Amino acid sequence: MVAKVKVLYFAAAAEAAGATEELLTADDTRSLRRQLTDKYPALAAIPFRMALNKTMLKGEAQLTTNDIIAILPPFQGG
Amino acid sequence: MKNRYLVGGPITPLLISELMTLGDDDTGTGAVSIFIGRVRDDEVEDKRVKAIEYSAYEEMAVREADGIANTVRSAFTDVRSVIIVHSLGVVRAGETSLFIMVSAGHRDHATRACRHTLEMVKEKLPVWKKELY
Repeated sequence: MVAKVKVLYFAAAAEAAGATEELLTADDTRSLRRQLTDKYPALAAIPFRMALNKTMLKGEAQLTTNDIIAILPPFQGG
Repeated sequence: MKNRYLVGGPITPLLISELMTLGDDDTGTGAVSIFIGRVRDDEVEDKRVKAIEYSAYEEMAVREADGIANTVRSAFTDVRSVIIVHSLGVVRAGETSLFIMVSAGHRDHATRACRHTLEMVKEKLPVWKKELY
């Protein structure tokens, strides 16, 4: 099943994508990750992690329509 | 304050003094440990940092900060309150961008839990910075 998901880009990931959000379709986070780095080569240079519905992703996950995936460069708070 | 964890601009001395009164009606508190993080005017490639602009995934930051506070309270049984405030937007060199305050019955858990909270904030809070010169 192909899911239609909202992808959010933050900080360096937003600069690499040239956008802060977009709608994409993917089966799972693994294929979404590949799709993103193919589409935005600059993103491949960033060691980003993903959050699925505001929770940090551990491993990979199936996607469901309306899921929100956030592309998170290394955190720099403090 | 945008919410209980995030504030637009620097954490001012006035806000710090207000935050320091939180929980002062809890007479079981015997120790309060505070960490204040400030923007440093680092020199990067011959340019001096004048300010840092912070951005965040705000909804996730609130959830993560809730999780950090809960984890710290569970791990340090003497802890009575955990306050975390981080800046968003522009904070100039010398101004405060992070405030952590941990209250406990006694000094041991207050100081150790404050340090632990700081390390978790650095690791888990979805916040990013951009140096302004």
